[in-house]
Amino acid sequence: MKDKRLEEMRQDYKNIRIPKELKGRVDAGIRKAKEETQMKKKSKVLVYTGRVLGGVAAAMLVITVMANSGAAIAHAMAKIPVIGAIAEVVTFRQYESSERNMEADIKIPEVSVKNEDGTVNEETTQKINKSIQEYTDEIIARYEKDVEAAGGEGHMDVELDYTVITDNDRLFSIRFDQLLVMASGVQTVKIYHIDKQTGEMINLAGLFKEGADYITAVSENIKVQMKEQMAADEYIMYYLDSEVPEWDFQSVKEDTTFYVNENGKLTIVFDEYEVAPGYMGSVEFEIPTEAIEDLVQEGFLK
Amino acid sequence: MRAEALQKKVEETVLDSYEAMYRLAYTYVGNEEDALDIVQESVYKAIKHAASVKQERYIKTWLWRIVMNTALDFIRKNQKEIAVEAFYENGKEDSYQDFDTLEALKVLTEKEKAVVVLRFFEDQKLSEIAGVLNENTNTVKTILYRSLRKMKLKLTEGELSYEG
Repeated sequence: MKDKRLEEMRQDYKNIRIPKELKGRVDAGIRKAKEETQMKKKSKVLVYTGRVLGGVAAAMLVITVMANSGAAIAHAMAKIPVIGAIAEVVTFRQYESSERNMEADIKIPEVSVKNEDGTVNEETTQKINKSIQEYTDEIIARYEKDVEAAGGEGHMDVELDYTVITDNDRLFSIRFDQLLVMASGVQTVKIYHIDKQTGEMINLAGLFKEGADYITAVSENIKVQMKEQMAADEYIMYYLDSEVPEWDFQSVKEDTTFYVNENGKLTIVFDEYEVAPGYMGSVEFEIPTEAIEDLVQEGFLK
Repeated sequence: MRAEALQKKVEETVLDSYEAMYRLAYTYVGNEEDALDIVQESVYKAIKHAASVKQERYIKTWLWRIVMNTALDFIRKNQKEIAVEAFYENGKEDSYQDFDTLEALKVLTEKEKAVVVLRFFEDQKLSEIAGVLNENTNTVKTILYRSLRKMKLKLTEGELSYEG
């Protein structure tokens, strides 16, 4: 038996009245902290850019000045050295805009694909650049529309940066990371791949042999990984066997975002909210090569 | 784990436990207005420094610790306003008619108060409380005994460590 007085104290403690404004004060604390951490994150991104692109920094500075004179697209003639002779980023343009609390910083690379004899593969070069341009144009158009709609009163921050993440004998991949900060941040990833053997742009399907059922193999492997992770850690959650079956992860598609990581393993990327609640962010699954080795074409994976 | 994901988890834990955070703060300051300030400040600190929680399973422990430290800072800054005698008199009387039993907490030190509240009112394990106070479990147990003696409460050994 517990002491009766202690039980009474416990009751009184549980009865401490919760003021109505408590939730509002909690939200205010969260908001303030988030605003400050987002500002911090942004400056981190800038430092990162400067460090990684080291040699390009001077060129970028010039572009920045040009771009500031009127929120338009500036052409940079800077040649950016990228390893590999067959596909490379030859130049980039930058779209920068700043309207009170709305900012955009979008880098648009231009890729050149060459045949083995050194001549330019016009078809793929045009195709990939057109595709990149459509993607970036869409981001810019949406930003400009939002600026107009907000009449200068909005808070928004769009950043788009790219990285060549793979350039080996078989594959060239360029990755775009978009960070969109409005009420809260949303991360999306887009990656373009060129099969250097054929000189063509490929999606997930292009890694596999004709007619191979890679969709099932990859999807089932991801489901197993999701279950294992959820069982091991109660804070991890994926949309799988959930209360809302229509949100559940079903399968990958032929154009699901992927890349080949530094260990030569196929890695599937899902945007924030795609297969998990927002707090999980953008999530990735490394697929063991054993699970797909009969299906995949030579030379892409290890 | 990525800092952003950690921040989201801290945020979720805050949204789950802000009422408990408020009660703990209230136990220290004894009035709504100050307790609200303490909660807001604690939430801000928690989200802002989310990246410093080493492991997810310590998030809750860490929140208690922030609330306690924020409350203690607050009390130190406002010594005059919260004279011990006037402790529970700042509140509006009608809302707290039954508060007499909690008055017993007044005899306790700040640390003892945290131990009693977390153990008996918030059902935290001794090991978790040890984490909040940065003490070992045996010390927490000693503090608990001492607190109960001070409040002239009697408990059996089993009740001290029960996992409610």
